[in-house]
Amino acid sequence: MMTKLKSWRPYLTVFRLRALMETQYRAAALGGLVTQVFFGLVYIFLYTTLYAGGSPDLLRDTITYVWLQQMFFRMMFSADGELGNLIMSGGIAYMLVRPVDQHRFWVARDVAGRLVGAMMRLIPMLAIQLILPKELRISLPDGALSFFQFAVSLMIGCVCLCELMSIIDAVTMKTLDKRGISAILNLTMMTFSGNVIPLTLFPDALQTIIRYQPFAQALDAPIRMYQHCATLPQWALTVAVQVGWIFILRAIGRSMWNRRLNDLIVQGG
Amino acid sequence: MPFIEAHSLGKTYVRYAAPKNGGISRLWRREKQEIEALSDASFTIEQGELVGLIGPNGAGKSTTVKLLTGILTPTSGSCTVDGRTPWENRKEHVRHLGAVFGQRTQLWWDVPIRDSFLLLRDIYDIDNVTWQKRLDALVDALELEGFLNAPLRQLSLGQRMRAELCGSLLHAPKLLFLDEPTIGLDAVSKLKLRAFLKEENEKNGTTILLTTHDMEDMLALCSRVMVLGHGRLLYDGALDLLLKQYDTVHTLRVVYEQTPDMGTLPCNVKQDGDAFILTYEPAVTPTSELLPRVLSAGSVREMTLKEQNVDELIARMYKELAL
Repeated sequence: MMTKLKSWRPYLTVFRLRALMETQYRAAALGGLVTQVFFGLVYIFLYTTLYAGGSPDLLRDTITYVWLQQMFFRMMFSADGELGNLIMSGGIAYMLVRPVDQHRFWVARDVAGRLVGAMMRLIPMLAIQLILPKELRISLPDGALSFFQFAVSLMIGCVCLCELMSIIDAVTMKTLDKRGISAILNLTMMTFSGNVIPLTLFPDALQTIIRYQPFAQALDAPIRMYQHCATLPQWALTVAVQVGWIFILRAIGRSMWNRRLNDLIVQGG
Repeated sequence: MPFIEAHSLGKTYVRYAAPKNGGISRLWRREKQEIEALSDASFTIEQGELVGLIGPNGAGKSTTVKLLTGILTPTSGSCTVDGRTPWENRKEHVRHLGAVFGQRTQLWWDVPIRDSFLLLRDIYDIDNVTWQKRLDALVDALELEGFLNAPLRQLSLGQRMRAELCGSLLHAPKLLFLDEPTIGLDAVSKLKLRAFLKEENEKNGTTILLTTHDMEDMLALCSRVMVLGHGRLLYDGALDLLLKQYDTVHTLRVVYEQTPDMGTLPCNVKQDGDAFILTYEPAVTPTSELLPRVLSAGSVREMTLKEQNVDELIARMYKELAL
């Protein structure tokens, strides 16, 4: 047991270090805060106009969905270019002489950056809610249990997202440039994670597909429970889908990483 | 059994390139090229040696280092380092080696360097007491006190390189790879770094493999060099012997009181202002034969014997070996 715990030490340390590092980027957090509040309000005005005379419940749910999307924007669209830089500069050579599991190392690092980055924007954004007119505010969660379900699923969702991103990184190691894949990915992510239009607003016929695809696991799945407390079987199903995706994405990511690392020729070395 | 033993090690890369002719077809056609980065290299290195690896760009230095670190798998030959085959169990192998790649960094840009060292402690699974002791010793030797809590981005290049070295040596590796460790450093920093490396090698018996284009580094640190060119190991032996081999041309700078009557001196004569630059090969024309004739050509005001600069010697060697 002790040796098992000990073998996790480098990954916990990289997590802690990345989290500490994130807290230094206060100007970036402020910039993000302003952008996210602005976009949140734009979307909310849009939906308010759209739903004029419609169901007030649906409008309230949509406003909450939009706010949660904006609050966790930094988690979904992180801008840690470190791995890309290492690949471009050849600094990745150092990675190859380290006795650690590189895939796990980078996923741990990514989770830390995303979670802490999101927290730094989340807290002031919650404070801002207090000064907003009531009809523009985020609603409270559907009870304490609902909030607990949301929080747990969000953590799992973040890991799931980072596993997905590690696949993108593996592709970057092949193409040596992140721009092409990022352009494709950003659009896909924005659409299928619910950032452009809440996934709950997609047609009912598509809901089964849309809820269970990997992009929905990070933020859409937790938000649904924030809004409507899940029954135990529902909750179990949600978590099972999230964890299932983690395993699938990790298997793909790991095999791609191993292949890439094995035939990586360090640039300019 | 030698610490490092390489036996006819070879590595061929496959590279894809656009075909020479063909316009739009370049979009889907590509040509396969095989590049022999290293071929038939055999050498042994003993524990505690400090060996220099030189050669022009593209000679196979990096390939050799990557093979020894286990980053690359060779296409032919075999190699053991400390009894292990590097590429077979890379994770176990790299635990015992350290590396400094001169133009890259292993420390985190935005966090205090102490934190980067903490991460290295956990990566190499060093217990805290050993780590603290080692860190104190390295910080002392590399004069890093006062910088431990500064993030890397605030350090000067010299300080940064010392921090990188500290990071590479925290786990007390038996084998240290240094790739251009003094690149871009000022004279004082270079001297300090060399002194430190020499001490680390002598005191802790760390085997060091140094690749550099800085011949002063070589002279100061390495008694043995391996010269690589076109993927082949061309020379493996003492540095001074190598230099002597190419130190064949001597240069005399002579200034006369009046225009001298040189006549036919058995050497090359070039005029540079009021001085005459005489180059000759002592093996052909012994100095004892040349000097009296130079002195009798006129009344000599000053005369200096110019020593060959190491860079010039190496350049001549590369040229003669057609590198």
